Amino acid sequence: MEILNILICWVICWLNFVIIDTFFGLPEKPGVRGAKVIGEKIKKIGGDLNGGYFMGNIVCSPDASAGTLLASIMYYLMGVDGGILASFFVWIGNRLCADPGYAGTLGALSITLIIYLLSPFISPKYFIVGMVLAIFTIQGFEHRYASKLLGEIYRRLL
Amino acid sequence: MINEILGGIAVLMIIRIFLERSRARKLVYLCCLNFAFSALIALYVKYPAGGILAIVYFIFSTITSNAIASSLEKIYELEG
Repeated sequence: MEILNILICWVICWLNFVIIDTFFGLPEKPGVRGAKVIGEKIKKIGGDLNGGYFMGNIVCSPDASAGTLLASIMYYLMGVDGGILASFFVWIGNRLCADPGYAGTLGALSITLIIYLLSPFISPKYFIVGMVLAIFTIQGFEHRYASKLLGEIYRRLL
Repeated sequence: MINEILGGIAVLMIIRIFLERSRARKLVYLCCLNFAFSALIALYVKYPAGGILAIVYFIFSTITSNAIASSLEKIYELEG
């Protein structure tokens, strides 16, 4: 039962941050300084340039992935107020990194809404581990295939 | 169960950071380590202050990564 909950949260968190980040144009161009070099390094090992920019933007600025994690942490500890507080902190982080997009804020608010709607069935702590597993499949498992997948999603959606 | 998964991911990421040769790609693994670490902080310190601590840790580690990556970009530009 626990494993099933973790798997459901994994899929929800993955879809939440990948869809929001793709719509805010993370794979399109390196939005913050430093994302470009990571994208080019990933292209050099045989990955996709747009997927590489996506991963570089996640590393260099708190985007919807960070918003999803921090909002689920704060929802677990404080309830709905915590989710809204987390979105405010992510917005401050976005401004500190000179990020023009507000993907992080929207990601935090949307996962707060999703956790609130699912709270009778799934405990918020499963969303925390679900988000860490989701970022593990993108950033930690295999950069070549992850960047190709993200680039493919970008070209299909937009 | 949850803490074991998070701890396992963190240890795996530390090993991969050691084995990775490229400096820019080390940062990508480090980002995943930061995610696992701030989740562990929040799950161990079960108070709202623990959540604030996790947020501050995460956002400032992101700013550090941003600074390192933009310096790497400058270095590659200078080297040509």
